[in-house]
Amino acid sequence: MEIVNILIKSAFIENMILSYFLGMCSFLAVSKSVKTAFGLGMAVIFVQVITIPVNWLINFYLLGENGIFGIDLTFLRFILFIATIAAMVQLVEMFVEKVSPSLYNALGIFLPLITVNCAILGGSLFMVAREYDFPSAVAYGFGSGTGWALAIIAMAAIREKMRYSNVPAGLRGLGMAFILTGLMGIGFMSLMGIDPKALMSLP
Amino acid sequence: MADTATSTAPAQEKEPFFGKKERRLLTDPLNDNNPITVQILGVCSALAVTTMVYPSVVMAIAVTFVTAFSNLTTSAVRNFIPKEVRMIVQLVIIAVLVTVVELTLKAFNYQIWKQLSVFIGLIITNCIVMGRLEAFAMANKPWRSFLDGIGNGLGYSGILIILGVIREIFGRGTLFAGSPLEIDIIGAGEKFMINTTAPGSWFSWYSNNGLMVLPASALLIIGVIIWIQRSSNKKLVDIS
Amino acid sequence: MESNSYVLKFTLVMTVIAALILSGMFYATKPTADKNEAVFTKRAILSAVESQLGKDLASLSDDEVLQVFDQQMEQVTLNMKGEAVEGIQAEKVDMAKEKKKPEAERVLPLFIYKGQDGKKYYILSVRGSGLWDEIWGNIALAEDLNTVVGASFDHKGETPGLGGEIKDNPGWKAQFKDKHLFDASGKFTSINVRKGGAVDKEREVDSISGATITSVGVSEMLLRGIGYYLPYFEKLRAQGGATGMQTESE
Repeated sequence: MEIVNILIKSAFIENMILSYFLGMCSFLAVSKSVKTAFGLGMAVIFVQVITIPVNWLINFYLLGENGIFGIDLTFLRFILFIATIAAMVQLVEMFVEKVSPSLYNALGIFLPLITVNCAILGGSLFMVAREYDFPSAVAYGFGSGTGWALAIIAMAAIREKMRYSNVPAGLRGLGMAFILTGLMGIGFMSLMGIDPKALMSLP
Repeated sequence: MADTATSTAPAQEKEPFFGKKERRLLTDPLNDNNPITVQILGVCSALAVTTMVYPSVVMAIAVTFVTAFSNLTTSAVRNFIPKEVRMIVQLVIIAVLVTVVELTLKAFNYQIWKQLSVFIGLIITNCIVMGRLEAFAMANKPWRSFLDGIGNGLGYSGILIILGVIREIFGRGTLFAGSPLEIDIIGAGEKFMINTTAPGSWFSWYSNNGLMVLPASALLIIGVIIWIQRSSNKKLVDIS
Repeated sequence: MESNSYVLKFTLVMTVIAALILSGMFYATKPTADKNEAVFTKRAILSAVESQLGKDLASLSDDEVLQVFDQQMEQVTLNMKGEAVEGIQAEKVDMAKEKKKPEAERVLPLFIYKGQDGKKYYILSVRGSGLWDEIWGNIALAEDLNTVVGASFDHKGETPGLGGEIKDNPGWKAQFKDKHLFDASGKFTSINVRKGGAVDKEREVDSISGATITSVGVSEMLLRGIGYYLPYFEKLRAQGGATGMQTESE
């Protein structure tokens, strides 16, 4: 119940890009073609699903007062989180290279760049700030990654079509991309009315 | 990315302490090479905090501090950093500085710390910081890197504060709300400079624009800022 | 290419320096940060009785806030049966954690403020859900345990300008003043947040336009949250501690 709530909320309503602007750099840079956008989206989902639960464990068992050291080490949170993310991205990279060289080539440079994607660190920090428990953290990782992927794929599709439109010179490219993202954000807000509880009680 | 780090700046005979070149380091990022509107770096974390001016200003100061000092530190130790762990070293330097900022805010301005919450931590992944370390600090002397950091921080701050001003005035009718400098500009009530409920007021039709407090408005405003900037500065126009 | 031992040494030195700087900073700022946190929650509690402070809450310095809390505030921790629990200070009760426990095992913080006029004000803490995330608040009652003297609310993630108004809009909070929790027959009705404007001026407040779900959340939070305190009210009345409804109902 709670899990479904978190999934819907993190994927649609509190979308990482469209309502928190997290991961905008790669969002704007990689959203020129649907194919690469899809690859990056999948990679982000994958990394989110791994790093958020791992960071949950670190936060709970290492940093907290109930952890194995028994003292408040929260000031090390940023360093440990970003190190975990960097290490996990590295692992994912090696794994993908071994298992599917074609996907590895398609993702290219964007895979290591996920480390500095704000959506990943943001996900971990939101997970701490919202005091999720472990299952919720897993759901949140999946939901927020999916939301990010959805947004970038949709954006890439729109930008592919935008090439045939006559946009004023100053607005071409980046300017239009910002305005499009803003409009998409307003569009996503209409999903706010979704009541997960009502959705579950449908026959 | 690796080549930018290894190529060092051409040796100069004698560097002035604050000459023309140094000044350009500070002023270029304000317009021609603005990190947000031209380099598309660092749009991520901070835009969600620009609904009001006060948090925007605090965020701007924090980011400028981190870019300046991470540039300085990285540049100072650039010849000692082993190439294999370059990224991690940079991340650690940034993370330490960001934690310093967070602890300072928590101790000296708790309310603003509450308001900014996770967005302070997100300065770590703010692409400007990382981007400047890779592109500039790894190849330049400390003093110039420091100026470059300040310049980029200011370019970023400029956009952040413009956004904050527009969004706060039209979204809430105030400026600097939450700080000692609070000015109430327009709204329903005695305390506002333009009181929309006063009898015979010209502004009785006015009400705050709810769109401005929504995250989407920040993106729309940046889009328009980019449009204005590129219309007046033709060399920035995207020809693709 | 640097040798592995150099990389290792470099990493080690860097880690030690980073850890030293941060732990130094952390322990140097911890006392101030902890005090700030305490002041922050205490201000939120006091803001419910702001009308009785005789001063603007914002004009009080942090030390004065702590002083008021020390001298004029009595803290009681209650269990769900309305009995005082020993060993837990009310200000240490974490409402967020309590909310996750089964209802019967929760404890409730109660703050009793002694005003300059010698009257007692009871401040109750409530917690519920808004549109996005949790919302919480403090409700101050007069000695009759019926008339509201003030309320303050906060939230984790309501939309600024819409649901966020429960915290930011002083006009909305001011509506709670002089509302009643019980109807004329002494039945607990709580305070309802009504969409489209309050009908029953005694027991209802206007909702925030555009924030229906948050408003419904506030109603639910008040009904359930204040309801938890009812057993304690019964006990107080039985002891004659509170002057009861009879004197006040018109």
